[in-house]
Amino acid sequence: MNAWLFLHFPHLLLDEQLAQQPADQQQLPQVLLEQQAGREPKVKQANLQALQQGVEVAMDWVMAQALVPELQTRNWVASREHQVLAALAQALYQDCAQIALYPPRGLLLEVKSLQRLYGGLEPLRARIEQRIQHQIPPLRYSLASGYSPLAAKLLAEAEQTLVTTATGPVEQALQQLPLQHSQLPAEQIQRLLDVGMQSLGSVLSHSAGALGQRFGKTMTQYLAQLRGELQQPQHYYRPPAYFYQRIDLLTEVQSWQQLLFPLKRLLQQLENFLQVRQLSTQQLLLKAYHRNHEPTQIEIGFAHPVWQQREIFQLVQLQLERQQLSHPALELSLWVRDLVSRESQKTRLFAAAKGEHQEDTQARAQLVNRLQARLGAQAVKVPQLRADLRPEKAHGLQPWQQIQQPTKPRYRSRLPRRPPWLLTEPEPIQRQQWQLQWGPERLVSGWWDDAPCHRDYYIALDPWQRQGWIFSDQQGWFLHGWFS
Amino acid sequence: MAGSVNPVALNCLSYYSFLRGASSPAELIEQAAELGYQALAITDECSLAGVVRAYVANQQLPSPLQLLIGSSFDLAEQGRWVVLVRDHQGYTQLCELITKARSRCSKGAYQLGLDDLAELDPNHVILLWRPELTGAMATVTQHLLPRFEGALYLAFSRHYHSDDAARYRAYQHYHQVTGLPIVAACEVLYHQRQQQPLFDVMQAIRERQAVTQIVEHLPANHEYCLRSVAELQQCYPHAWLEQAGFIAQKCHFCLSELRYQYPSELVPEGQTATAYLRELTYAGAKRRFPDGLSADVQAKLEKELGLIEQLEYEYFFLTIYDIVQFAQQRGILYQGRGSAANSVVCYCLEITAVNPAQIDVLFERFISAERDEPPDIDVDFEHQRREEVIQYIYQKYGRKRAALAATVVRYRLKSAFRDVGKALGFREQALRHYLQRIDRRDREYHWREQLLEQVPELVQTQRGRWLLDLTQALIGTPRHLSQHVGGFVIASRSLAELVPVENASMPERTVIQWDKDDIEALRLIKVDILALGMLSALQKMLTYVRGYGQTAAEQQLSLATIPTEDPKVYQMLQQADSIGIFQIESRAQMNMLPRLKPATFYDLVVQIAIVRPGPIQGDMVHPYLRRRAGLEPIEYPSAAVKQVLERTLGVPIFQEQVIKLAMVAAGFSGGEADQLRRAMANWQRSGKLKKFERKLIEGMRARGYSDDFAKRIYQQILGFGEYGFPESHSASFANLAYASAWMKYHHPAAFYCALLNSLPMGFYSADQLLQDAKRHHVPLLPVDIQFSQWDHQLVELTERRSLRLGLRLIKGLSRQRIEALIAQRPPQGFQSLQQLQHCGARRHELQALAAADALAGVSGHRYQSQWQSLAVQEQPPLFAELLDDLNDEQVAAPTEIEDIRADYQHLGLSLRRHPLAILREQGKLRGYKTAAELSTCRSGQFVQISGLVTCRQRPGTSSGVTFITLEDETGQANIVIWLATARQFRQAYLRARLLKVKGVVEIHAGVVHVIAGQLFDESEHLRPFQLDRKRSRDFH
Repeated sequence: MNAWLFLHFPHLLLDEQLAQQPADQQQLPQVLLEQQAGREPKVKQANLQALQQGVEVAMDWVMAQALVPELQTRNWVASREHQVLAALAQALYQDCAQIALYPPRGLLLEVKSLQRLYGGLEPLRARIEQRIQHQIPPLRYSLASGYSPLAAKLLAEAEQTLVTTATGPVEQALQQLPLQHSQLPAEQIQRLLDVGMQSLGSVLSHSAGALGQRFGKTMTQYLAQLRGELQQPQHYYRPPAYFYQRIDLLTEVQSWQQLLFPLKRLLQQLENFLQVRQLSTQQLLLKAYHRNHEPTQIEIGFAHPVWQQREIFQLVQLQLERQQLSHPALELSLWVRDLVSRESQKTRLFAAAKGEHQEDTQARAQLVNRLQARLGAQAVKVPQLRADLRPEKAHGLQPWQQIQQPTKPRYRSRLPRRPPWLLTEPEPIQRQQWQLQWGPERLVSGWWDDAPCHRDYYIALDPWQRQGWIFSDQQGWFLHGWFS
Repeated sequence: MAGSVNPVALNCLSYYSFLRGASSPAELIEQAAELGYQALAITDECSLAGVVRAYVANQQLPSPLQLLIGSSFDLAEQGRWVVLVRDHQGYTQLCELITKARSRCSKGAYQLGLDDLAELDPNHVILLWRPELTGAMATVTQHLLPRFEGALYLAFSRHYHSDDAARYRAYQHYHQVTGLPIVAACEVLYHQRQQQPLFDVMQAIRERQAVTQIVEHLPANHEYCLRSVAELQQCYPHAWLEQAGFIAQKCHFCLSELRYQYPSELVPEGQTATAYLRELTYAGAKRRFPDGLSADVQAKLEKELGLIEQLEYEYFFLTIYDIVQFAQQRGILYQGRGSAANSVVCYCLEITAVNPAQIDVLFERFISAERDEPPDIDVDFEHQRREEVIQYIYQKYGRKRAALAATVVRYRLKSAFRDVGKALGFREQALRHYLQRIDRRDREYHWREQLLEQVPELVQTQRGRWLLDLTQALIGTPRHLSQHVGGFVIASRSLAELVPVENASMPERTVIQWDKDDIEALRLIKVDILALGMLSALQKMLTYVRGYGQTAAEQQLSLATIPTEDPKVYQMLQQADSIGIFQIESRAQMNMLPRLKPATFYDLVVQIAIVRPGPIQGDMVHPYLRRRAGLEPIEYPSAAVKQVLERTLGVPIFQEQVIKLAMVAAGFSGGEADQLRRAMANWQRSGKLKKFERKLIEGMRARGYSDDFAKRIYQQILGFGEYGFPESHSASFANLAYASAWMKYHHPAAFYCALLNSLPMGFYSADQLLQDAKRHHVPLLPVDIQFSQWDHQLVELTERRSLRLGLRLIKGLSRQRIEALIAQRPPQGFQSLQQLQHCGARRHELQALAAADALAGVSGHRYQSQWQSLAVQEQPPLFAELLDDLNDEQVAAPTEIEDIRADYQHLGLSLRRHPLAILREQGKLRGYKTAAELSTCRSGQFVQISGLVTCRQRPGTSSGVTFITLEDETGQANIVIWLATARQFRQAYLRARLLKVKGVVEIHAGVVHVIAGQLFDESEHLRPFQLDRKRSRDFH
């Protein structure tokens, strides 16, 4: 009996991206490229339009571009593809509990027990297809069954779709498989070709002893794995811990204010959940479900990770004060997916708080949380210095969340003399009213963008003996700041 | 008082400080002259690489400035230093200082301390010190004072920064404490303010970051330029400016003082170089002309010796003579070429083998007193043995006295575009995408226009416009120094007294900081020691023939004794049978052979020079061929022109002729003609040729030539561009071409055997050479452990001489180990794998031999041999019989196709049938012509043909046409593909390994082409051979 199914998605990441594109863009030939250090990139995945015009996987980018001049290219990113694969595993997890990820593009399913549950492989296959075929254009995949994980994997990755409970057809298909698809080490494949073997079948026709003597332990193990005589431990997929609770409200609720009480209970459950796992979160999703309408969603973010019910409740309360509920709600759910380990968070806090008490840092973070909850995330900003020689561009405001830890400057920094009070807009002045004290400092910079500056700055006194920072450029004389 | 100062720039960095300066030395000099500078110092960072260019540019000014020589150094805490040269001794000290600083580090870096500066002599150099504000006053005073009093200055440089005042006060303080005078010494990093963006981008390239990421480290303004007198006076106290003038007055060194001193040990004591050279030449003449010198040759010889004496070039000839003597003693084949090489003197000194009797006419391009350019002699050596010659030079003269000339590696379009793009923050992928849209071979159509046609939106952003402008500005800017392929400079004493020497990237090699143009400008001498594969091959051919030769002539065969002007050899060449022959084996050369029909040595000289982009772009090929065929009258506008062009039927083909024409027809002086030659070499980069146009055309008009003729000559000069080929080189090449052709005709087995043993070289792979050998009926024997050596060898099997392939073809074997194995081969051959193993063969070696089918005589066909060798254990068992039962199992024998496939895979070639022969037999090519059958077609006939694609070429000279070479079992076919066809059948055009072409045969003057109408990719058929992915030579 074939206890294993293997799903192979040859163009996984690209297919996922295609599904998110508008229909007309999907029609353009496009490929994902694999960057290789010091070499020309190679085609990793391609859509049908590109394949039809002669592009092939593993082709040099230059050749692909020559074949299809209008080819669209993006970089293939392993980590993104892994996310897509994990999401697929998550989706299939509802149908099959034993799924192993074979990155970058494969999933192995243990289906021995399921065949009884589903009454054979065919219904299971239909179920699986339904799960992964929901998008347009559909994911390209091949699905093969096998009496061992390796058997199923070889067939699927050779893009042979074969779903059967009988072992005979699987064995036959395997025997036909050219050695290039055997997944043996390249060197071994070469040696096998050198003795005239071209398919897996010709290898299997020899005795294990004769092969083992010539090709060593790797070959013996490979054959045992293929035949299912050697079971390799599989690392099955476990869905990530996340918090999800959905509760029925006893009455129809008209406003968020009325939801606060049941919410408090939900948040207490959340705190328990987080406490047990030593986790905290920076984001939660609230959904209120209505009778005849799409649910109302509210996403709430926090400036620093939180886990205590009291704190979360306060912050959520501040947010909800500004919200309206469009229709009466019947149900309420709480999703928390982005979980942060408290351990990692601690180290970050300490790093940020050099010479500062941790409590101070926390208090500041809590204050920012409240302000953001009340005013919106974009409303809380921090002044930061920027590396630009133009005074008006040398500093600016950054949203709180985007603050980067200041990195150690690589070079000795020059600290030019700058007035403590810089005017937002330079003001035109009468030159003769000013008495030059020092200068010029010539600033000619910013040729690379659309605001180049070309000015001579002076420190000068106005008629009231106030020390100002003035400059002249092509438009005349201006006051830009005050020293006193 | 104001206005009385003549400005002096004491600290200018040119772009030879590699990305630290943004202007060329010439730009700095010209700008300084325009601003009325009195003097300018080129002070590149730890380098003198730019001073010769500055010197040359300065000499070309109507009234040259005073050019000071110096160098800057960064001593970290001890501030920045400039060393200025006062006199010749100071110059020598600076060269040695730079050499020392460079020798401490790997290529590109340097290291220097105050101790090193303290060792300089204050009477011969001046030091400018730019302290860091944090100060290192105590250390500096301790090291350098009081010794350097009067030769050490504080160099104040003001660029309108916010710390100007603080620095001014600090300098005053230093001055009060130490008593050191202050001098206004602006640091100049570019000649004009407009260069600021280029400079900033260069800094970003150096830091490998985007400009916006390094803003803090960029200068805050564009004041690092050469400033006008008024600006300087506004900027500095008058006394400090004056001080710079005083410093300039103390310096009076000029590069023209450098005198190259030849190594003196070459002349026996008590003899003069002139007398010694004369003695050697006449001794050689006796050997070269056993019947005595004709009056004509005698006169030429005397004239040459006179010229050599007049120009004092004796040592140069003696140096080369010494080197070739060494090669002769070691039996290394060599040949000299170049303008001076084809002289009677060089023939007598055995520097060259070109018999002057054969190309009498070349003598006029000997070194001329009027042009006063150093003689040009390149010596080619066997490529596998050149290193011996180089080691000899190092041994004889010592590492301090011999070094390679430098080559300045400059930014080209692709590198400039990428680096500028990255500095402007473009993504790598976007840049690649843009670059892909530029056809860099298209010389007519500027890259900028090409790009804008396809990506017009690029000019719509500021960043896009900068990308275009700054790329153009960066092209031609030096990136780093590299080593010249083989140009040695040898000095009588330490080279470092003459020019700084630095480490090359190759270990144990040093380069001087000047390239060949610098060397030429200063009239220094370099000797080119080059490597040539064909010399290795010819040496082997000669050895083989001498080995098996029956006649005395064969047993003593040498390059000089090969019979000349053999009509049968020329007949072979006229039929384009030239694969493997030096210089005339390429597809383009093969197409020319049946049209030009070379019948004499001089025809070969023309043949080699005519298939070059120069003559092709200058439209000289067709007129020459028509005149040769008698289809067009040969006319000369004057007797003077006739004298220059007569030997090439009135069409200029060689570079020398063009220059000579400028002299006789347009009245150019020797010096001007020389400038013209230089301008021709890089007119597209410098645009300098334009200024010669008027002079040339007016000169000819004044001498009574028609405008039409004048314009044609100018066009031809333009076409020549950098590709003009000198007759002097062509003649030396023709000598080797003839020698190899003679070998191919008379000793084909030796010819192919030697070529195969000299690979990699030439145009063709071992596979293609062997197919040609097959077509010439040379019996070929496969690799076999029972018979083969490491090298390919000649064997007398039957009455014909056969070629036994060597084990060197097999991938993954080491020569040393295999030779040790073969040395133990029993007379009756190896009997078993075990025996091979006992003789030292390892498991992987047996596998490699089995895969190559070299064990057939030991253990059966390749599959069986491999099956057995796989069973061999790394440690031989104690009891041999243990293995026997394993050997019982029989493996099926390979089919013919499987054998061919394995041959290609493991040897890169096959002696079995050609894959196309098998496909034809299988009926897959029904109705297709073979390559051989094409010549029997009538011109205009419609055919289809299929073959392995061995070469795709899109020459820059013919717009849009691609030439594809197809190979089948009968030979090669040339396919011509027009742009539209290529586009229509893009996939097959670019990808096919087995290409089917439907098209029309075109036969013209014995040259057969198929003009493609339709292309089909039939690579599928090659899959059983696994040749469907085999690479051809594409778009070289």
